Amino acid sequence: MMKVSINVLYILLLLLGSCSDAPKVTNAPTAKRVVPSQPLLSQKTNEKQKLSEYGFFEAPLSDLIPNPRVYSYEVNTPLFSDYASKKRFLYLPDATQMEFSPTASTLRFEKGSVLIKNFYYPTSDGQERIIETRLLIKEKEGWKPLNYIWNEEQSDASLNYIGADIEVEWIKNETHIQKVNYSVPNLNQCKNCHISDSDITPIGLSIAQLNRKNPLLSVDKNQLTFFQEAKLIKNLPKKNNWSKLPVWNNPLTGSVEERAKAYLDANCAYCHSPKGSAKNSGLHLNYTEINTRSRGIYKPPVAAGKGSGDLVYDIIPGDPEHSILLYRMKSKDPSIQMPELGRSLVHEEGIALISEYIQNLQKK
Amino acid sequence: MKKFLYLVVGVLILIFVLWLFPEPMPEYIPERDYIDMEAEILESFILAKDSSVIQLPEGHFLFSQALSLDDKKHLTIRGMGMDKTILSFKGQVKGAEGIKVTQCKNLIIEDLAIEDAAGDNLKISDSDSIVLRRVRSAWTGKVSTKNGAYALYPVLCSNLLIEECEAIGASDAGIYVGQSKNVIIRNNKAYYNVAGIESENSSNVEIYGNEAYENTTGLLIFNLPQLTVYGENIRAYNNTIYNNNIPNFGVKGSIVSAVPKGTGVVIMATKNVTFSKNTIRDHKTVNLSVVSYELFAADDDPENTTLDQEAENRGIRSVDSDYTQDVTYNAYPKDILIHENAFENKFSFPTLSNDYGILMFMKNKMTIPDIVYDGILPKNIPLQSPEYKICLHNNGEINFVMMDAANDFENFSNDQTPFDCKMIL
Repeated sequence: MMKVSINVLYILLLLLGSCSDAPKVTNAPTAKRVVPSQPLLSQKTNEKQKLSEYGFFEAPLSDLIPNPRVYSYEVNTPLFSDYASKKRFLYLPDATQMEFSPTASTLRFEKGSVLIKNFYYPTSDGQERIIETRLLIKEKEGWKPLNYIWNEEQSDASLNYIGADIEVEWIKNETHIQKVNYSVPNLNQCKNCHISDSDITPIGLSIAQLNRKNPLLSVDKNQLTFFQEAKLIKNLPKKNNWSKLPVWNNPLTGSVEERAKAYLDANCAYCHSPKGSAKNSGLHLNYTEINTRSRGIYKPPVAAGKGSGDLVYDIIPGDPEHSILLYRMKSKDPSIQMPELGRSLVHEEGIALISEYIQNLQKK
Repeated sequence: MKKFLYLVVGVLILIFVLWLFPEPMPEYIPERDYIDMEAEILESFILAKDSSVIQLPEGHFLFSQALSLDDKKHLTIRGMGMDKTILSFKGQVKGAEGIKVTQCKNLIIEDLAIEDAAGDNLKISDSDSIVLRRVRSAWTGKVSTKNGAYALYPVLCSNLLIEECEAIGASDAGIYVGQSKNVIIRNNKAYYNVAGIESENSSNVEIYGNEAYENTTGLLIFNLPQLTVYGENIRAYNNTIYNNNIPNFGVKGSIVSAVPKGTGVVIMATKNVTFSKNTIRDHKTVNLSVVSYELFAADDDPENTTLDQEAENRGIRSVDSDYTQDVTYNAYPKDILIHENAFENKFSFPTLSNDYGILMFMKNKMTIPDIVYDGILPKNIPLQSPEYKICLHNNGEINFVMMDAANDFENFSNDQTPFDCKMIL
């Protein structure tokens, strides 16, 4: 722009213009722990400080043996949570029932109901270490999430709002010792996944997910049949109309494609569905989605930014290596990885399944 | 020819002397004795219900992660004073911002300091009715390109008051209001930033009683292309903008990195601006300039037009040479009224550290101008046509330059007469 006849000077100036900033120290300084002498917030909360106060389980608490009105439930295909195992329960207040509604994606619960999900790892001494228990409490206004973190002694768990990072050593397939920096979400983060439209909502309490056996309830009966016979659920459709989600890692329950879709439903569709928080992406991975483009096939990303890894389509049939979907499942970079929350490890078995699914898809 | 040689030799000697004695970068090193109350403060931010007050005690609190507020109403966050309640994010491992506010209404943040976030110290987006009062937002140590971009950064907000705040050490802009409307920025101080105060793509903005000094540039009133909204109706008055001469330490490719040091005020590609009763003094390149976006976009140094992904993720605005594709964007300043300001300069010669300074050295009789107008206009629009008018009035004895930058400075002129006019805005 500036065509002034002083190019020589200009070059000299450029040479001299280099900056001599020292690299900024990124190490955090040390700080002594101090607790406030007065409450920071002038408001009261009435939430229970300990998990034991609810009386969901018999003593010792860590055995997770349910008291009356607390029932175990299992899902066909769970969300991957850094290889943590989960024990799920639901508490129904006296004389209340779950209710099926054809218009809702999950079962309905009455006020006072609580969904209880315990996250634990097997440890090398043959024991189990429970890390956290997440509650969804049905209140008059809607569902309220609360989190309890277990102490080292496994005697009880304490209310936590702010999340935590916990180093856990665990044993995979009874042989390999593994380490994970397990991330307990803070209260705001609960919403990220549990939001549908603008309401907090349970995930996984659907006919398709619950349609299976659960030995903790009954050795031979279907879980839904058990609930039905015990009058814990109402308005269920006839049994032969119950939909069923395949079990992602059990080939007896479905083809590779069916199981891959089940896996994507459980791991992605809480956001990637027409009512989920990622609806604007146009990628809908709920099991019932049949539009192939909405399912990601030859679909370009909308606002993935660097998350696309310079790849062109979410899924390229026959080419898993160049499919954004798999690229993001494989990543551990927080700005790229999917799901965004609750995963710091790569789910190798899940990736193998999705990779096989994409490989098998028919090319255009 | 001999004369020219003398000049070149003289300039070379001058450069050599400057090279021997590089300008020191300023530093801000307050005494800190950090304590850790992270859990309780984090919890109060998460639990705060509508209409509550978070009262933070005295102390230098260190955080490993960002504090965030989402979807809250009528909330007050109050410290014990900007010298007493310090929230430091030095070495944070989670989140980029210090405090991140989204979708809030009627929020007051006052009497505290925010320091050393990895990204922006305080970012507020999509919010309404926000007051920032006596908040000091700073990066400590010697100023550095690695400092966060924006010290106080409300964007996409409405009804915003920023008063008696301080912004120090931002590698982009200290007080940066973007894409917002109904804004008052008053009685603040900004120093050691690349840009002290910046009003970007915002409308109905009053900027008064502020002091901007020892930045690379003091005050920017900008419209940038390819954004959601464009700004207009800006009044800046009773501000003191002086000695903004520190070397530009902006991230390469960012829009502010293209502003030469020693530029007091830039009014760019915006309309309906009244700039009056300000004091602008002691700048080594120019006290005030009125320019079009073309002047920035035309920079053909590729280093200056690409921003790395990391910086882009931090929300730093880059130079966009495709701006012509944005048909709703007007790249030229119009309806600009500059009157009753006081211009002074203690420096005698323009800096030779940038093209503009050199241009003034060569073409403006080695004088630093008080007001520069680039004279770039849309095709076939003559200078001072009614829809692209610039008026200068009662600014005392000033050195004025019309660069005629569009025509290789062919009609470079010091004649203020065509611009001596009044207008009602």
